[in-house]
Amino acid sequence: MSAGIVKAALIAQLLLLLPSPTRAAEITLTVTIGYHGVFQLGRPFPIRIEVANTGPPVEGTVEATVWKGGGAKGIGSFPMRHRRTLLIGAAARKSATFTIDPGSVSRPLVVSFHGPGATATQEIDLRRHFVPSPVILLLTESDFSILPGLSTPANPLIAISPEELPSDPRAFAGVAAVVLYEPSLREISGAQNAALETWLTNGGKIVALGSLRYSLYQEAALSRFLPVRVSGLKRFAALPEMAKRYGVPASGAVEIQDATVTDGRALVSEHGSPIVVEAERGKGKIVYLAVDIGRPPFSRWDGVARLLKDLTAAPAENSSAPAAAWDDAVFSQLLLNRAVSSMYLPVGAFAAWIVGYLIALGVLTWCWDRRRLVPRSLGIGFLTVVFFSSIVGYIYFSRGDGIPDGVLVTSTLLDSLSGGEVEASSNAALFSTIRRDYDVFVEKGWTDFDPLPRRSAVAEENSVTVEEEGGRPRLRMALKAWDYRLFRLRSVTRLPVRVELAAEADRRLIKVSNDSAQDLTDCWAVVTGQIVSLGDIPAGRTRVRELPASASDPAAAGGRAYRAGLRDVHFKDPVRELLLRYSYFPQEQTNAWTGAGLFFGWLQTAPRGVTVAGGKVRERDYAFFRAAFPAGEEEE
Amino acid sequence: MKAGALFREGVEVHIAEGHGFAAYFYLLVLLTPVVFLALFLPALDAQVWIAPAAFFSISSVSAMILTTYFALRLANQEFAPWRFVSLRRRLTEQKLTPAEIAKDHIALLCLEVGILVLLAAPLLVWAAAIARVPGRELTAVLLLLFFYALVYGVWGLTALAAWERKLEIRQVFVRAFFISVMIVTAVIYIPLNPVGFMLGYLGDKDMAPLLLWGRRWSAGTAHFTLHLLLLGAGAWIYYRALRRELSS
Repeated sequence: MSAGIVKAALIAQLLLLLPSPTRAAEITLTVTIGYHGVFQLGRPFPIRIEVANTGPPVEGTVEATVWKGGGAKGIGSFPMRHRRTLLIGAAARKSATFTIDPGSVSRPLVVSFHGPGATATQEIDLRRHFVPSPVILLLTESDFSILPGLSTPANPLIAISPEELPSDPRAFAGVAAVVLYEPSLREISGAQNAALETWLTNGGKIVALGSLRYSLYQEAALSRFLPVRVSGLKRFAALPEMAKRYGVPASGAVEIQDATVTDGRALVSEHGSPIVVEAERGKGKIVYLAVDIGRPPFSRWDGVARLLKDLTAAPAENSSAPAAAWDDAVFSQLLLNRAVSSMYLPVGAFAAWIVGYLIALGVLTWCWDRRRLVPRSLGIGFLTVVFFSSIVGYIYFSRGDGIPDGVLVTSTLLDSLSGGEVEASSNAALFSTIRRDYDVFVEKGWTDFDPLPRRSAVAEENSVTVEEEGGRPRLRMALKAWDYRLFRLRSVTRLPVRVELAAEADRRLIKVSNDSAQDLTDCWAVVTGQIVSLGDIPAGRTRVRELPASASDPAAAGGRAYRAGLRDVHFKDPVRELLLRYSYFPQEQTNAWTGAGLFFGWLQTAPRGVTVAGGKVRERDYAFFRAAFPAGEEEE
Repeated sequence: MKAGALFREGVEVHIAEGHGFAAYFYLLVLLTPVVFLALFLPALDAQVWIAPAAFFSISSVSAMILTTYFALRLANQEFAPWRFVSLRRRLTEQKLTPAEIAKDHIALLCLEVGILVLLAAPLLVWAAAIARVPGRELTAVLLLLFFYALVYGVWGLTALAAWERKLEIRQVFVRAFFISVMIVTAVIYIPLNPVGFMLGYLGDKDMAPLLLWGRRWSAGTAHFTLHLLLLGAGAWIYYRALRRELSS
């Protein structure tokens, strides 16, 4: 055997002894857009990213990036990133769900996974997935997946299983209605339940279609949504009321769910049994149908299509009050206000330090002038004053409680809805005195979180990263020193405050009943240009004030009259006045209140929509309740 | 090392007799309200919030202008000029050499500039703490204040040596010189200007390089080259004026 062959054999053996190189994880991404590949254009929608790993275990970040803003909106495009950390075992798959809201579909959605030694990126063209109208979701566990007359190419009906239900209320934004048919909601998570409820109270619609499997409708998870209590089945020889409205149903006796109305009102009843029941939930609506349209005879009934169209029709748009103005201009007014600026600027302390320093120098000079100091002592004294004041002042201003890392100001406008509910629009401003990342959490029950882009900022300065760990989205935004971000979000909550205007022969009475658990302070009413102070209205109390007889001038009910009235409203806190004039009732909304009387006041404790985690962040909340009511005598 | 006669005379007149206190007083009287108002009155346009962010910049620039201006005036012996022995006498009767005079003048200028910077320092340190300015930037600002006051202060000595017996000419010259340099540097290339350079540095802005003789000079290089040239030119003219005084 030659020496060369021996050397080669030895080298080969050594190579075998060396550890084999680590095999990299092999990642593939599968992305599901919207609901089974469909979403409504211009509204947020869910995406599900499934990460499959065919290699060794890997921990990495799955990220979805969409772009918002753009030329048409007058601001530059900026990225919005959604992130989640996943630990994926060997030869395993895991998924992450995000709710995204791209500014336009012309830019692709970029989905990626980054881990040590494993990277995968995918671009998805969203143009192939959108529809112009909101979709209808059919939540069922049965095979029934066709609702006659409802599904159109532009407004599709999508059957989903309960586990596919989003756990973020924003994901329902492009959904017209959720139709429940034989669903079992026992398995849905608390987050899914909360998301469905939040969406419903914020203007969503649930249509519960009855079934012969009535026991499903008695489950607590489902029955809590229903406006009826289902007790069993009931047999009817005929349904004359239904026949009158939607045509003659198939002949023969029919069985329908036997139910009792718990809240809401029966729109169609047969022999005292509710067939169609409608109830309001905040701004949303829930409709219940007692008949089983998935089984004969109703599945073959011609009137089903019309009935379903009626049931799933979009709820009549509540005449929403104008939203509060919240932009750079309002924020600049806030910053100019001493009450706000004193939250982060130690003006008083700074003045005191200056005065102290000047006094110390003055004392030194006086002592020198009176020949009480030799030149050496003067020099030592001067250096002592300078160094002591510099060092101690620096420690005081940089480490003391004077200057927080940031300030969060929230201004929540609560507009009265019917049934003691209020629509809460929370406007928040977060500004920073240092360069740092802020984690903003959206509280339960709040939705439509919308960071407002700044026109002057570059794309990266507007970017927001949504990190979804532990089921609670965390919005991470980087702020420079002395920088700020504005954002909005909304909710529907309960605040039963009733405002009534009663007209008598020679006077009018305004009656405000505060049935809520919160005190209302600094309350005012503006009726046909007349302003009346109602003072504080504690929880559970009613206040009545007399107004002079209405003005004969019809223009007095116009928007200008209310504007004139608002000028006379004054609060002790200048920030409240500022918010009243620039945010809640801005000049450009003058005509929106034509013919309306207004009642407004401040809530002692504001409902919180966002919290900022970590660091020294000082917070100030303002909550303003307002209710509009008809002011004209003929309208009463 | 024993202090020279001119240095001792300067300390005696400006500090021991208190004639220089006027300059320190003016510095504080002008700087304090500027610094306080920069914090107290937030300035904001429709889009950009600039108040506290610019608080330290405004304070630093004000301090720079004031320390430089008063250093010029102190070097020019504008405060109690009658109390100083004339340079001619120092050169001819006391037989001091121009080098000895220059050494004392420079030492006195450094002392005066040091006092001016120290007087302004607490205000700047507090401003830096409030505006969350890093310590490195604060140190840089204090060193820049000293540097500018020295560079421009040398021209006060130049005026003193060139027109010792013509106080009005000296006064006009130092002011005209200071204002001219500020304007001309701002017109030619903003980073040459001390105010422009300081604002650029504190604003963390990228300053465009200077294109000169086919070469790209970074803003910092151009700025410090010009100021070192100014310092050198001032010192050279000052020394020449002393020698001319001796020879005449």
